[in-house]
Amino acid sequence: MTEKKNQETFNPIKTITQRTFRKNRSRNLVAVLAILMTTLMFTTLFTLAQSMCKNLIEMTFRQTGYDAQASCKAITPEQAEMLAAHPDVKELGQSIVLGLAENRQLGGRQVEIRWADDSYAAHSFAAPTTGRMPQSAEEAAMDTITLDRLGIPHEVGQKVTLEWRKDISDPDAEPVQAEFTLCGFWEGNQSGYASMAWVSREYADAQTQGQLSTGTEDGILGLYMVQVSLYSDNNIEAAMDRILADTELDGLEYGVNLAYSPEMGATAIQETLPMYLGMALVFVAGYLIIYNIFQISVAADTQFYGKIKTLGATDRQIRKLIYGLANRLCMIGIPVGLILGWLLGAALVPAFTGIIESGGAVSVHPLIFTGSAAFAWLTVLLSCLRPARLAGKVSPVEALRMNDADTPRRRKTKRSHTGESLAGMAWENLGRNRKRTVTVICSLTLGLVLLSCFYAKNTAFDMEKYLAELTIADFELADATSGNYIGGYDPQGTTLGKDLVQELETMEGVETVGHQYSHQLVWQFDDQTTENLKGFYTDALLADWARYDPAGVDAFHHAVDTQEMNAVVFGLDGIPLDAVTQPQYVMEGSFHPEAFSGGDYILAVGPAIAEKDGHPVLPVPSVGSTVTLEGRSYTVMAIVFPLDPVDRGASEAGAPEAMEQHFILPTDTFRQNWPENTLRKLFFNVDDAHMDTVQNWLDAYTATVDTSLPVTSRQSMAQQYEAETRSTAVMGNTISVVIALVGVLNFVNSMVTAILSRRREFAMIQSVGMTRRQLCKMLVYEGLCYAAVTLVLSYLISALAVGVGIRGMVAGGFTTFRFTLLPLYICTPILLVFALLIPFVCFQNLESQSIVERLRMD
Amino acid sequence: METILKTTGLKKYYGKGETLVKALDGIDLEIERGKFTAIIGTSGSGKSTLLHMLGGLDIPSEGSVNVDGTELARLNSEQATIFRRKRIGFIFQNYNLVPVLNVWENIIFPITLDGRKPDQDFILQVIRLLGLEKKLDSLPNNLSGGQQQRVAIARALAGKPSIILADEPTGNLDTRTGDDVVGLLKMTGREFRQTIVMITHNPEIAQMADRIVQIENGRIAAQ
Ligand SMILES: Nc1ncnc2c1ncn2[C@@H]1O[C@H](COP(=O)(O)OP(=O)(O)OP(=O)(O)O)[C@@H](O)[C@H]1O
Ligand SMILES: [Mg+2]
Repeated sequence: MTEKKNQETFNPIKTITQRTFRKNRSRNLVAVLAILMTTLMFTTLFTLAQSMCKNLIEMTFRQTGYDAQASCKAITPEQAEMLAAHPDVKELGQSIVLGLAENRQLGGRQVEIRWADDSYAAHSFAAPTTGRMPQSAEEAAMDTITLDRLGIPHEVGQKVTLEWRKDISDPDAEPVQAEFTLCGFWEGNQSGYASMAWVSREYADAQTQGQLSTGTEDGILGLYMVQVSLYSDNNIEAAMDRILADTELDGLEYGVNLAYSPEMGATAIQETLPMYLGMALVFVAGYLIIYNIFQISVAADTQFYGKIKTLGATDRQIRKLIYGLANRLCMIGIPVGLILGWLLGAALVPAFTGIIESGGAVSVHPLIFTGSAAFAWLTVLLSCLRPARLAGKVSPVEALRMNDADTPRRRKTKRSHTGESLAGMAWENLGRNRKRTVTVICSLTLGLVLLSCFYAKNTAFDMEKYLAELTIADFELADATSGNYIGGYDPQGTTLGKDLVQELETMEGVETVGHQYSHQLVWQFDDQTTENLKGFYTDALLADWARYDPAGVDAFHHAVDTQEMNAVVFGLDGIPLDAVTQPQYVMEGSFHPEAFSGGDYILAVGPAIAEKDGHPVLPVPSVGSTVTLEGRSYTVMAIVFPLDPVDRGASEAGAPEAMEQHFILPTDTFRQNWPENTLRKLFFNVDDAHMDTVQNWLDAYTATVDTSLPVTSRQSMAQQYEAETRSTAVMGNTISVVIALVGVLNFVNSMVTAILSRRREFAMIQSVGMTRRQLCKMLVYEGLCYAAVTLVLSYLISALAVGVGIRGMVAGGFTTFRFTLLPLYICTPILLVFALLIPFVCFQNLESQSIVERLRMD
Repeated sequence: METILKTTGLKKYYGKGETLVKALDGIDLEIERGKFTAIIGTSGSGKSTLLHMLGGLDIPSEGSVNVDGTELARLNSEQATIFRRKRIGFIFQNYNLVPVLNVWENIIFPITLDGRKPDQDFILQVIRLLGLEKKLDSLPNNLSGGQQQRVAIARALAGKPSIILADEPTGNLDTRTGDDVVGLLKMTGREFRQTIVMITHNPEIAQMADRIVQIENGRIAAQ
């Protein structure tokens, strides 16, 4: 007893904090889980946001093609030297353009033949990762995209032949055939506008004969340009102007990298904003649920706080106790949540940024961790606020009397004649703490409703509808130059040679085929068409158009003034003709196959607008009017929608820059008029059994015979779409699952706390004669009541939300609404099992202590 | 003599309408310093409620309580708590022990909450008198009802408060221990000039008091 005297100072609040914490293991577990999940959600959100941001910036750099702050295209090497000497210039990269590679296999991909110094290459994402930059005239370095197109293995020392013209504006100029030895290569940048093929300075000087140009007026051969890297990203324009003033180069033209412009940042934010908002909304919902879980845990202690208050604990001391406990929980929950959240985020990043080439970089910004930790901690503190205030406000005696039921006054209950049934008792018990019951039911319902909505929205997407607009056949093959937007389409291209077409069309399993030919010409149009054009392109529309394509507007005005524009005539038969003349794609007039095949009728391709979209006229020749093309006249039968697979493609090589009108003729008529034009696109459908054989045959063909053959298959389109939308799907599913999990955790937690907090009461009713079977039954009934109310509410609200909300949301687009509550059907048995299992398990746990023990328990 | 506890028109109503309970219905009571007052009354007559009011544990519906010149209504919750832990020793009808603290810690709990140093010699003396010396390390759950009651008494005495409010402190004790406890209360009361207000159902113990107040239906029936 005397040792008591020597006991060092006893800190009552600290002692109680420690011991309470140790005592409530199971409850702490739930609270820690709640904190962990909050932290996890925040960390995941932050990791995703940060990584997305990082990847988006990276992507814009790759799209603009370089990551230096500014570039100059009208500068002399002497001026560049002066710039480089300025202290604010970090690095200056130089390059000399020779021309564009025009190898047939490169169709559609711009490959620039240039010399560049190491800095320029590095800042253009084109520094060789294997090998080195070219040093002698025979050497060249290029990216893997170009090598793949040319069918050259990724190996230093391979021979590469590049074909180019010194004067690209002259289609008849003598092409240069240059053979190089590959001295280095790097992973190509798909999102960049062009690939680089670096040659040595020696080769460049030999080609330009030392003549460097400072503008594109006289071709691009010898065009000298530099990239300027600065130390700071802020106010690039001002910094550049200052540097130019310092070096007395005022007025020198330069361009600021678009990726650094504030508008770019704004667009990036704008593009990701809806996603962030959606995420935020769901996170708020999840957060509220977690808040509830934690609050239930703290609120259960209010009675205890009342007790120590009667013994003289001040409000401050009680708050200290509450926060002390919360902090201990945080100390476990937050670090674990941070780690798991980051891992989850890291796992999700590729799904989000998968479409961005080179994406998938996971950010480890310290802000992620400090931010999430702070948010989670704040959540916990907020959850403590209310119980702390409550304990402070309530008079101590009242706090003492407060037990599980939140209203001490006894409600008069109508007793049924048969006396009190167990189910009735269970139902009444739910009503005892109505606030908690409502909270739990609401949070669980919220989780289930969100889950149903996400699911219904995701399943509403109709791949068939989507693909129908993008592909009209199982396989679509095109001429290599069909998509060559730089060099232009060659109407006499040889990619789809007779033998190839013959072989494919007679291949086993091929069901239907279709062809597309095309021809471009200058077309004089009539007054009616002019009126139509003017009627369609209102001033507002033109102003809008001018914002992103001022050249297009100029072309429009030119066309209207001269009544002359380019006409592209497609000769169609089979699949493409059937597709584009389906009733839903006929915008005006009507299609009569027999009359059309006669050759006197023509179809005009309209603008890409849904229906007429409120436009009084379409900007094309009117139905019934006459169109004269190279001497032959046709009557416009109908105006059709510009279906992508039919209408997409580059303009013909060498055609003047002008507005374009597309027309469709039957193949036969087309072939009569322009017999020397070769096939532009081949479409064919294959039965399901032979899909793979045909695909394999084509894969082999493009790998060994003709690497330049563009093949689009429905299958690969579907896969590509899935890759592109995986992020949203993953997001929706992850969030739904997390919310559902949190809801279940909440359900479990509240049932467990409700049962545990009534241990004494149960002991009492057991001591007065209720058998354990009866008690167990009552508890199970309680659980079932909980589940039943939740489910009924979830079904009602989900049905409403899905049937009205989601139906409205998915209207239009590539969707077909299907009413489904599948997630609910799946959750129903799970919830019921939980409702049965939890009371049972808890009760087993209770039974391990004798009635007397429990009666004495505090 | 000097009045230390004074209530005027003290009322406490619970609920409303049909379920209205008038726990206290106009109590005017004055208690003098150093006196030992016993409160008696049938169960549910409002005794505990009155005691809670005197200790500032609950807020009256009407009327006022004055403790040693301090109007309790004037104090905010924080001040009331500090006032209570410095001046009043409470013995609760249901003991109100902190389950996670052992007997010794329970006894010194209010003193340490107040940041004071317990007077160990005095407390040990009280503990010995109450026969708790063997139980100091036990947790309240492992004590009998009588033992718990004695811990509650020791706790109330430990801080040498000027007022002791005891709600049936001998209810769970055998007659001899009960008499000893009341004897102890009286003794320390005299020694430290403590004012004692004690609720009891035991007429013999009530007889040991300087004054008996009888409560019925929330009013003073006799004194
Ligand atoms: N928080 C409360 N809510 C509703 N009624 C209450 C509350 N506290 C006390 N009462 C009622 O007030 C009346 C007086 O209660 P009190 O506890 O003061 O009685 P008591 O005289 O101490 O009885 P006992 O001798 O049985 O302890 C009782 O009828 C009780 O039901
Ligand atoms: Mg009482």
